Amino acid sequence: MLDFTEESLKKVLTRYNVALEKEMTPEEAAEELYPKDELIYPIAKAIFEGEEDDVVEGLQAAIDAGKEAITLIDDALMVGMAVVTKLYDDGVIFLPNVMMSADAMLDGIEFCKENSDTAPETKGTVVCHVAEGDVHDIGKNIVTALLRANGFDVVDLGRDCPVDEVVAAVEENKPIMVTGTALMTTTMYAFKEVNDKLVEKGLNVPFACGGGAVNQDFVAQYELGVYGEEAADAPKIADAIIAGSNIAALREAFHKH
Amino acid sequence: MVANRYTSMAYESADEMSFGKTKHPVKAGLGLEIGAGYTIPEVNYAPRPEAGASKEKLVNEYERITTDIMQRMVQVGFPAVILETEHVQQMSNNPEWGAEVAHAQKTIMEEYHDEYGIKCALRHTIGDIRENRDFLQLRGDKYSVFMEAFEKCAENGADLLSVESMGGKEVFDYAILRNDIAGMLYGIGCLGTLDMDMIWSDIAAVAKKTGTIAAGDTDCAQANTAMFIAGGLLDKNLAHTLAIIARAISAPRSLAAYENGALGPGKDCGYENVIIKAITGMPMTQEGKTSTCAHSDVMGNLIMQCCDVWSNESVEYHGEFGGTSVQCRGESLAYDCALMNTALETGNEKVLRDMFMLSDRYRDPQGYVLAYDNAYKVGEAIVKDGDNIYLRAKNAAIECCNIVEEGVAGKLSISRFEAGALKDAKAALDALPDDMDQFMDDCLTKYQSEVKVFLPENYGF
Repeated sequence: MLDFTEESLKKVLTRYNVALEKEMTPEEAAEELYPKDELIYPIAKAIFEGEEDDVVEGLQAAIDAGKEAITLIDDALMVGMAVVTKLYDDGVIFLPNVMMSADAMLDGIEFCKENSDTAPETKGTVVCHVAEGDVHDIGKNIVTALLRANGFDVVDLGRDCPVDEVVAAVEENKPIMVTGTALMTTTMYAFKEVNDKLVEKGLNVPFACGGGAVNQDFVAQYELGVYGEEAADAPKIADAIIAGSNIAALREAFHKH
Repeated sequence: MVANRYTSMAYESADEMSFGKTKHPVKAGLGLEIGAGYTIPEVNYAPRPEAGASKEKLVNEYERITTDIMQRMVQVGFPAVILETEHVQQMSNNPEWGAEVAHAQKTIMEEYHDEYGIKCALRHTIGDIRENRDFLQLRGDKYSVFMEAFEKCAENGADLLSVESMGGKEVFDYAILRNDIAGMLYGIGCLGTLDMDMIWSDIAAVAKKTGTIAAGDTDCAQANTAMFIAGGLLDKNLAHTLAIIARAISAPRSLAAYENGALGPGKDCGYENVIIKAITGMPMTQEGKTSTCAHSDVMGNLIMQCCDVWSNESVEYHGEFGGTSVQCRGESLAYDCALMNTALETGNEKVLRDMFMLSDRYRDPQGYVLAYDNAYKVGEAIVKDGDNIYLRAKNAAIECCNIVEEGVAGKLSISRFEAGALKDAKAALDALPDDMDQFMDDCLTKYQSEVKVFLPENYGF
């Protein structure tokens, strides 16, 4: 069978991921970012490690020591999650780590809510759906997890979501953003209908769309459309919206092609 | 029908395998014999978004697509072509829509065959519509519509019947985002295979009744999801070492189609097809460098190594500088086939096969495991316990890990992250029981609790 020499192989391909790998291990990088507070540290670490039981145990210890349950959402859970999202953005850890951490964080938030009389404040609400006629929802599930991990409240309308249901959810929840995902070219046409009905009702909310067959040219055709190339763009777009970006500015920032 | 499990390999050695040649060629359509010493382009397309608005628009769109492809094949002098129509949901939910499209396409293909003698066949890939908005509904009300869609298309012109079935996807989607090897094994290897056994015995019966070919399935819903999420070298969504484990596990799952009466050619996006060809000796369609219109991969040349039919995955129908998109992609595919067929006719196919393979062998662990010599080893691990759907999937996963480890000891370089994911996966596999009943019971309990959309009744539990 034909084979390369080590030298000839280098002339055919380069594994850039190996060549550029960070020196530091994920655990070492996380350790540098954890808060030093002895009550908060174990919660943040448990979030990073995706260990739900340890998160709850840490929260209980902090509450026993006099911390307010509801404040621990921002002061501990979100701090731990910020470590995770930073390391994900930096390319130190991968998506499954984020998903497992998000699961642990959501368990932690539920625990804090159960132990408090006050409702937590979020950065804003986002309505998420999969296009009508399309049942491929793994992309939407990633988007919702990343949004929640970044402190947004998510109204998840699920898959194969009728256009009118999206519009009704926007009227009811007053979101800062709507997301739509689709795998198929024929189903993504529903995005335009969502856009048209939102515009008709004067609901000029940014409508971030992405997914397998969706491309920037298609999304840019409708007034509210903002194209998200990757799921990880969703929280970044939402952050930009609460920082004041309008649709034109969002397109400038996120339309890469 | 009881599945006829494979417990031995079709080929004596990996080196016996090549593109364009199989142990069991398939006669189909208008003069084609697939896997009988030549390769064939298979053009795959998607209608423009607005074409789904009505049946008339959709039929009209497919007529244009079909005419464009047939015309270009004749214009450039290619002797054979397969067209693949992957149903949009309207065509499978309304079987008469799919039937009309098949009839319209086949009428045009017959005209070209009659006038020019071009050999051709039409594949219809039915959409797996067995679900409602919230849950998979694999055995529910939609099953009869699903089967009717196959039958109506077969009666109206489709020669090759395929599907990208979804059994096990609800558990897999959960597991793959959590590095959960047991869940991947359960979703693809066990639940997926159980569903495949059910649907493919029925699809094979439809094919027998209509004189068509039950062609095969692909684990697009799971292994391709893993490959897509894993992405390129710099993407940070999934370790490529986990993506190739999912692929290895998908081989025994997709094999179940052939154990229940399918004859090939397997569907294009089944990158696991090289393993299945090694086991079954049946013809396979593959896609790679010419499917970049649909998605990127990291083995665009390698995957041509043993293909019998060469596809572009899917391209949206639209205009390009060189014609319509289906004409441009079709022509590229057909030129690739012309090169492979030249190699076959001049006795150079093993040289070309090895050049395809070697150019991507070390690009990524996914390509490394699917290189035909290593794919053959995965096949051997599967047939070793071919009668046990759990053990054969577990064997495939373990053999995959072993192959990557051996590769790393040589010229395959993987990142520390990929190595760590591989080590964790191997440890998770080593911790699994050998007893299928225990594994199934453990997983049923775990995933019923953790995956709210998992309904055991979908699998007859």
